[in-house]
Amino acid sequence: MSIYPLLAAASPKLVQVPISTGLATALVALLMLAHIQFAAWQQGGYIILAVTDFLGWKRRDERQTRFSKGLVTALGATFAFGSALAIFAVMILFLGLWGHFFVTLVRIMFWPLIVEAFAFVGEIICLYTLYSQWDRLSRVRPVRVGLELLLFINASIQMLAINVVSSYMLTPRPSNSLALNILNPTEIPLEMHRFVGNIAFAGAIIALVGGIRILVAKGREGRSYGDWIGHYGLIYAIGFTLAQPLIGWEYAKEIQLHAYAAWYSMMLGGLSVAFLFQVFLLGAIFTVGIFYLWRRVKLSGFRSPALAVCTAISFASWLLIATPSSLAWSYENVVAANANVPIWQGGLQIPWGEMIPFKLVALVAFTGVAIVAVTIYLKHVSNGELRWGDAGRGQAVALITVGVAVSLIMALMGYIREHSRAPFLITNQMLINQQQNFTAPSSNGPALNGPAIVSTVVPWERTP
Amino acid sequence: MSSQPERSPLVAKLTRPVARPLAATYRWVDERMGISDLTHQLLYEATPRRGAWAYSLGSATLIIIVLQIVTGMFLLWTYVPSTTEAWQSLNFIEHHDEFAAIVRGMHLWGAYVLLVIIGLHMIRTFISGSYKKPRELNWIVGVVLFLLVLGLGITGAMLPWDQAAYWTAQVVTHVVDYIPLFGSWVQQILRGGPQMGPETLTRFFAIHIWLLPALLVPLIGLHLILLRRHGEHGSWVNYEGVETETSEVRADRMAHAEYPYPALPSDPGYAVPVDLDEFFPSQVFKDAVVSFALVIVIFVMAVVVGAPIERAANPAALNYVPTPEWFFLPLDQLLVQFPQAWMIPVGVFVLPGIGTTFLMLVPFLDRSPEREPWRRPEVMVPALFAALFLIFEALLAVNRLFNL
Amino acid sequence: MIVGINVAGAGTALLIAAPIVGSVLSPLFAKRNTPWVMVADISQVGVGVPTAYVVNLPVNEGWQVPPVPRTLYVVKLNLNGSVQMLTLSNVCTHMQCDVHWDLNLQQFLCPCHGGLYSIDGTNIGGPPPWPLFRYQHKLVGNTLYVRNVLTGA
Repeated sequence: MSIYPLLAAASPKLVQVPISTGLATALVALLMLAHIQFAAWQQGGYIILAVTDFLGWKRRDERQTRFSKGLVTALGATFAFGSALAIFAVMILFLGLWGHFFVTLVRIMFWPLIVEAFAFVGEIICLYTLYSQWDRLSRVRPVRVGLELLLFINASIQMLAINVVSSYMLTPRPSNSLALNILNPTEIPLEMHRFVGNIAFAGAIIALVGGIRILVAKGREGRSYGDWIGHYGLIYAIGFTLAQPLIGWEYAKEIQLHAYAAWYSMMLGGLSVAFLFQVFLLGAIFTVGIFYLWRRVKLSGFRSPALAVCTAISFASWLLIATPSSLAWSYENVVAANANVPIWQGGLQIPWGEMIPFKLVALVAFTGVAIVAVTIYLKHVSNGELRWGDAGRGQAVALITVGVAVSLIMALMGYIREHSRAPFLITNQMLINQQQNFTAPSSNGPALNGPAIVSTVVPWERTP
Repeated sequence: MSSQPERSPLVAKLTRPVARPLAATYRWVDERMGISDLTHQLLYEATPRRGAWAYSLGSATLIIIVLQIVTGMFLLWTYVPSTTEAWQSLNFIEHHDEFAAIVRGMHLWGAYVLLVIIGLHMIRTFISGSYKKPRELNWIVGVVLFLLVLGLGITGAMLPWDQAAYWTAQVVTHVVDYIPLFGSWVQQILRGGPQMGPETLTRFFAIHIWLLPALLVPLIGLHLILLRRHGEHGSWVNYEGVETETSEVRADRMAHAEYPYPALPSDPGYAVPVDLDEFFPSQVFKDAVVSFALVIVIFVMAVVVGAPIERAANPAALNYVPTPEWFFLPLDQLLVQFPQAWMIPVGVFVLPGIGTTFLMLVPFLDRSPEREPWRRPEVMVPALFAALFLIFEALLAVNRLFNL
Repeated sequence: MIVGINVAGAGTALLIAAPIVGSVLSPLFAKRNTPWVMVADISQVGVGVPTAYVVNLPVNEGWQVPPVPRTLYVVKLNLNGSVQMLTLSNVCTHMQCDVHWDLNLQQFLCPCHGGLYSIDGTNIGGPPPWPLFRYQHKLVGNTLYVRNVLTGA
């Protein structure tokens, strides 16, 4: 017999969540944003660990081996704290403040979460073995690298399971089949987005640490090490961010087709200003990063006009992509003010702020220019032309900026993603308020049993 | 000359009446044709010893191409390239002729496996740096071969004239319409008119069975001639210690290099692999095993899965979802991501064109003598991006089509 | 003598190549006739309800083959008080895949790359660069006739 009705009869306070929905949302948001920063760092860090250890072994490179050891120590510490944070979030916040939602979700996504739990155990075993037996394992380098790869696979399985759950919340399939809901429309784009983004983020954090070390280093040796760490992390940061425009475009397309209200809110509605800041940060990552590559090569005595051109193109793309498409908070405001014309005709529109083709061109330019810049830069590295220790304040500031920008962009992406779904927790199936399913379709407002289209005209392009 | 195995006295006695005239005939023909010289030249060359299983991918590609040609030739015994009869002829095979159905299945799965093996071969030669001097031309010929095989794959997919083939042909011939200036002319040349018609099928049939093979076969010959001229490069495991050897040791190695080495002009030390083996029987054995295994796979897939055939082409279909062949999924995804008017040629022609150009020019972008991949980040990292790009685009396309 | 070799070689190649090139390019110069083909009686088509009809259009390229079935959508729209009729081709203007009227979205949807068109054929979403093309049509009484000529192409 359930104790719930007895408690409810005794005192409503015993069964009600003690804080308001708004405060509960804010708490969960804060914890989740923090958790994402830790989890992304862990997952990205593991593969960087494996690659660096492998390279250090094959190239007989002392610095990379030393860095691997530092990295595994850092990862062990952040894992301990981050997992405690995650468990606190799940046990106390989710269960306590969002009980109905959480239990429903776990019931629907039972098997993915079981898989995630086992992968978690695998991660613990691999990571702590590496952490504690690092020196002993250095006698069997292939085994150590293999263990690091296994660690990365475990973390990837965890991420896959969690992606199934989060993408389900955004674009659930109107079906009872778990298999179809695991392969829901945004699961694979989210998986790729996070896979690439995690590596970029870990690289950016490493770059950030390098930058700080350059600033606080006491001697040339310390500064040289910080210089190398910063450059190494930045290559990952830029290298993997350049795949994001590709993946993000298709991700947005799937959201447009399967959760239209969320897409509209992000691109044209209430969250579009936040998204504009998002692409501003993206432009900053690329431009500051490529600028760092150019100047770092110059610092060691090599002029690279190609890298200068890359920086210029990246900067121009940054300006282009950060241009708002209208001087209003959202498209509705423009329409409401009858200002559907360019500024110089008295309206609020800025034609070159349109997504197609201008922002798309900027995204393609970022990707192309970043590939070229990274390749040229790696050529200089490969030729041994960069003297580690030459970096100064400017480089450190650039590295720290990129690190901060990547961290911000991730937090902002999480915020946008969760808010775009409002008022739903699970699109078309569970509202944030009350956490209940509606069964009767409403005659006013969005259809709850079908695709949530708020208007029959799809304002993707504002063709005349 | 390979030595004859010892024959038992009984066998020798029984075969003596046959063996002597056979041997005499062979000697007579050999004096006039020079078969044994040719055999000796083909079989007796040095190949690198270590990592030799990986070097068998090239010959596997050749064997599968030969399989494609042979199975294709025998599909010609039944197939009719007419818009009314093409589907009928292949449908007849699928339902009424089990052996021809297996041949058709081997042709289809041979094509799929060929594309995978070409990809692996390309990846292997890329990672081992086999495009470095003096083998740059061989790499370029190889890229052209790859493009020809892609062309053969897509034109072959259009021949059954079922729903899949018809809509593939429609979309592919329409893509060329987006070439600026003369795109519509190219479309009309390929289609035999502005719309799909009987000449579309006959033109693609001709392209598939002789035009592309006529380009492919001589280029394969050139590829093999160049390979034979410079010898198999191998990979970094065959050049250990080369960076630090003394000039006397190096000169000694060069002087005593077996045919076809030394591969000149080459970076110092890399003209001759350190440890050599014989092509016959060592490498030939590995090649044979790998090719055999792949043909087994093709055969099993042909028997178990076979080559499907959809309903006959229906241009008036309302609910058919045209799905490209798996090897064209990345390009199809580019079509989604580059919408509207002038962006389409950028996504379909400019970007893949730039990618292919860079692929062809790899030997000129990477001219350092380094052979180990972890010392060549300036090619490995962009190659990783390119590979990830292809995988991501294909996965995204599959996801999109699955969730329609 | 070298000149002679060059001239003879070039001449041989030219004589062989010229007709071949001509035959490859012949579709560019062929005359095509486009007769009117009857579709159906369209008096029952409702306003605002795109209705698909299959019409067997003769293939006006190459030799005689059976007519090819094509789908066209007859759309009657109430514009400015009068009822206008459109005969839209269901061939997508992006990559020529088959477009259909999606009842859930109330738009024309192309499954290949997610192209969307409004009821009058205007391209409003996805990659298609132009609106749906229209068949040249004429009405004889209530019977619709079309010919294989597309406007807006």
